[in-house]
Amino acid sequence: MTVRRRIPLWLRGVPWLALLVLAVVGICAIGGDDILPADPNQLNLADAFRPPFWAANGSVDNPLGTDNLGRDILSRILAGSRISVIVAAYAIVFSGGIGALAGLVAGYFGGVVDAVLMRLIEIQQSIPSIALALIIAAALEPGLSTVIFVIVLTYWAWYARIIRGEVMTLKGRDYIAFARVAGVGTPTILMRHLLPNIFNTLIVLATLQVGQVILFEASLSFLGLGIQQPDISWGLMLADARQYITNAWWAITMPGIAIMLTCLSANVFGDWLRDRLDPRLRQL
Amino acid sequence: MNHWRISVLAALLASITAGAAAQIPKPATGNLTIAFAAEATMLDPAKSSAGVDQYFFGQIYEQLVRPDPSLKRVNWLAESWSVEDEGGKPVIDVHLRQGVKFHTGDTLTSDDFAFAYNRLRDNKVSKWSHLQASVEAFEIVDPYHFRIHFKQGDGSYVADNLQLWAMSKAYFDRVGDETFGNTPVGTGPWKFVSRTIKEDLKLEAFDDYWNPTQRPTVKNLTIKIIPEDLTRVAAFKTGAVDWIDSVPPSMVEEFRKMPGVTTASYVSPNNMYIAMDAIDDAVPMHDVRVRQAAAYAIDVDAIIKSVLFGQGERYAEVGKGEIGYDPDLKPYPYDPKKARALLAEAGYPRGFDIPCYNLTTQREPYQKEMGEAVFAYLSAAGIRCKVQGQEYGAWISFGRRDRPGHIDGFYSNMWGHGLPGDPGTPWAGHVHTYVPGAGWGITSVHSDPELDALIEQLKATMDLPERDALIRKIARIKHDRVAGGLTTYRPIVTFAWHDNVTFVGWPTPGFWRNLQQIGLKQ
Amino acid sequence: MSRFLLHRLLQGLVSIVGASIVIFLISRLSGDPVQILLPSDATPEMIAETRRTLGLDLPLWHQYVIFAWDALRGDFGRSYRWQMPALRLILDRLPATILLAVCGLIFSVAVAVPVGVLSAVRPGGWTDRVGRIFAMLGQAMPAFWVGLLLILLFAVQLNWLPAFGYGGVSHIIMPAIALGWYPVAAQTRIVRSAMRDVLDSDYIRLSRALGTPERWIVWKYALRNAAVPLLTMLGVYFAAMLGGAFVVETIFAWPGVGRTVVEAVFSRDFPVVQAGVLFTSILFVLSNLLVDLTYGIVDPRIRDDR
Repeated sequence: MTVRRRIPLWLRGVPWLALLVLAVVGICAIGGDDILPADPNQLNLADAFRPPFWAANGSVDNPLGTDNLGRDILSRILAGSRISVIVAAYAIVFSGGIGALAGLVAGYFGGVVDAVLMRLIEIQQSIPSIALALIIAAALEPGLSTVIFVIVLTYWAWYARIIRGEVMTLKGRDYIAFARVAGVGTPTILMRHLLPNIFNTLIVLATLQVGQVILFEASLSFLGLGIQQPDISWGLMLADARQYITNAWWAITMPGIAIMLTCLSANVFGDWLRDRLDPRLRQL
Repeated sequence: MNHWRISVLAALLASITAGAAAQIPKPATGNLTIAFAAEATMLDPAKSSAGVDQYFFGQIYEQLVRPDPSLKRVNWLAESWSVEDEGGKPVIDVHLRQGVKFHTGDTLTSDDFAFAYNRLRDNKVSKWSHLQASVEAFEIVDPYHFRIHFKQGDGSYVADNLQLWAMSKAYFDRVGDETFGNTPVGTGPWKFVSRTIKEDLKLEAFDDYWNPTQRPTVKNLTIKIIPEDLTRVAAFKTGAVDWIDSVPPSMVEEFRKMPGVTTASYVSPNNMYIAMDAIDDAVPMHDVRVRQAAAYAIDVDAIIKSVLFGQGERYAEVGKGEIGYDPDLKPYPYDPKKARALLAEAGYPRGFDIPCYNLTTQREPYQKEMGEAVFAYLSAAGIRCKVQGQEYGAWISFGRRDRPGHIDGFYSNMWGHGLPGDPGTPWAGHVHTYVPGAGWGITSVHSDPELDALIEQLKATMDLPERDALIRKIARIKHDRVAGGLTTYRPIVTFAWHDNVTFVGWPTPGFWRNLQQIGLKQ
Repeated sequence: MSRFLLHRLLQGLVSIVGASIVIFLISRLSGDPVQILLPSDATPEMIAETRRTLGLDLPLWHQYVIFAWDALRGDFGRSYRWQMPALRLILDRLPATILLAVCGLIFSVAVAVPVGVLSAVRPGGWTDRVGRIFAMLGQAMPAFWVGLLLILLFAVQLNWLPAFGYGGVSHIIMPAIALGWYPVAAQTRIVRSAMRDVLDSDYIRLSRALGTPERWIVWKYALRNAAVPLLTMLGVYFAAMLGGAFVVETIFAWPGVGRTVVEAVFSRDFPVVQAGVLFTSILFVLSNLLVDLTYGIVDPRIRDDR
């Protein structure tokens, strides 16, 4: 075994590139309009279909080219990161919260509560999630809040099932039995004894979910029932660019690369976190 | 007789026989495969509700009157017709062409049109029963002469090519409603052979078709349905199909330059416009200056050129070729400075914010992008659009007045004037004030008593020259006051075919997808 | 065993009935099909009449009872748009979707197995690295984007493959790749860890000591062990393919159930939406049932854990 340079143990193997990409996405999301090179919604019909700067007829003013209405693609991609982050954040917090709560309650109390929850989960998991998302989005008005609602509705069951399993294992532990004997109230048991122990699992699940949520939102927006104008979503950009596939290859590739880099980084980071915190979840 | 007389006589005889032979059409031969980008959902004209249905049943069914390829109205199944007055009420008197046969061999008579009328006005069958509302009675004088009695004047009857379709009563009585709809029979140049949903429609040329000169010259026709642009173009380029409708606008230039290919561009009778709420006192567009500012703020020509790849024809109230078209009525020029000045004059020197609703489901090529561009121009002039996209289901409901609330901003809309084109019914729907339950202004957010009176007068006018004059008058007022929406353009559709195909485009039925005169070069 | 089977079947049935209620309720709430079906200047009387004909003016529970009763007798209503029984429309297109799902699965397994095996046998090697990158990319790219890129490259630029439609082998290659790329990562992981577990086991060491060629050990003995976890999960992946088919079919104009349902959602064609989603759910439940069954056979401990 060679002697490594003196990097502290906890810092080794950290996926720096992935974190960098995620940081960039985060900065774009928080930075708002100020960091954008151009107005993402600014039309410029005369400048339509300009290729990226390295191609003939491209210009550095529009490094990644323009779309069919002359809008700067780079600015739109950076602006689109905001939607991705917002959707991911809200969706994960809510679906994780609701799912964890449901799993906690069902796993601890068992009995009827558990049976009802399991039936609900089974019913939900027998409908293909994209089909469910489509009909819900068509019923409510498509838009940002609907997308978040639909994702929460689709993914809460995943959390609930796993947390429930965890809780059922933990509930048999001695210290829980002691707490009950000592007269500790149920809510306290749930919050102070069980919750901290499933916290690691929850964190890992959440990070693994980021990639999935982004892909799901992109698919919904692509089909036309997700993010709507004038909000900018990478999936929506791809949907718009689809009819120009023969004229503007960059309009189809650039937003997709943004999705890919973000998801990849989230997945790599999530994998690393899982390996560090809770390797038992490896088969997810 | 000497030789030259014999030769003259012979020549005369020969030319007469040749002439007669020329009158008897040669039976059609050959197979042709073409492609449409959209298909019908209904093959029964009475039950149809979507214009696209005419793509199919328009090859099989015919009407009394129709526009010819140069958009001139010609008598078709009607030998002659006229509008008469009887006791103060109008009557359309029709003499039917004789010797017209249905595909089943039955002869077309007045009974068939009576049958069609009864079907079309039955609101349990027809989605268009309200169009027959002004008819009082259908009188059959003899098998080739009938009279339609009206309670009051109904201009739409005349504008819409006398509305009735030649449906075979005998066939309906024989086979019943279901088969009548699935296996249609008409008087048209094409006979129905078979139809596979989402795949194709097969037709066969009708040898006993009544028109000797204007008819197809190919026997078997297969219409494939290929909605995806790339696939349709690929099928055309490889020769899998020899004729396509809807060349993608971005490829029109390429197609025009293709060797061995002929293209033809036609104006689609779908009149696009931007509706704006003018009935709320609180909404800025209540003021005519604001509406005019909106008109000056949008560079429609640039949008047509860049967003539609030039595949659009600008129109001001009434399009070219329509009745009432006034070449002297020019559309609003692009003048953003003037727009800002008008806004300031109306009391909005810093502009204002307003919701703008855009249809996102594509009904016409790039119409979502067109809407985005329009709203961007408005925003640039100070009318700051809060754009909201709506998919088709939501958009349709939103535009109707018989729901709670109404359009409270700008709204991308369309209402076709038909071919050759008459704005009577559309204006009754989106310019006339909304009157619940009376059929006026179902999508209208405008209210102008002077225009209302004129539109009501237009509805009752059945004399074509009178309609023309009245429409011009209404158009001027509508234009000056930007009433009932700002007119933008009509989409242009381009067809393409290989040089072995002959094709003459007829406007109806089918919105130019009419295969009245299609064939293979001999 | 049969009690377990019965129990699971009953559970599946309950799920499907529950799913049908959910789908029914939500799609009925998704908007008004009548206004889409009628011309824009239709009168309110016309709208009311059409609504009555389609049975849409009845209270929701009544509509559901009619739907369920008819469905049990095989009648899922007529498509509002296409004038044909919704069931026919869906069943005609189900084979195309199943074919696509199967081909997608074949693609993913065809990639995952070799990569997983080679990763286990030669960790850190060239195949391991490339394979892992390929798998990771699959999990990070939306299936519809993969489809678009494939179309851009192979249909538009190179003109090797047809862009859309249903035809021969050349038509299914791109959709299968677009659909099947996503689960490659998870499947590779399963194969790799199963292989690693087994490669360290005693009986493999014994075989090696006895002189069995390495190739045999890897591809015959060890792989058989790794196949088990993969096969048990196949049902799950098949179900995932069914879900992914909705978007992939839309991209490639593949004439399957997914695309039909997506179109039906937009035109508020309730009978088709209901029939389509219901049948996909049935397939879903069956695939998951298969997984549980195989697990039950393979691992008796699971059976008793309910």
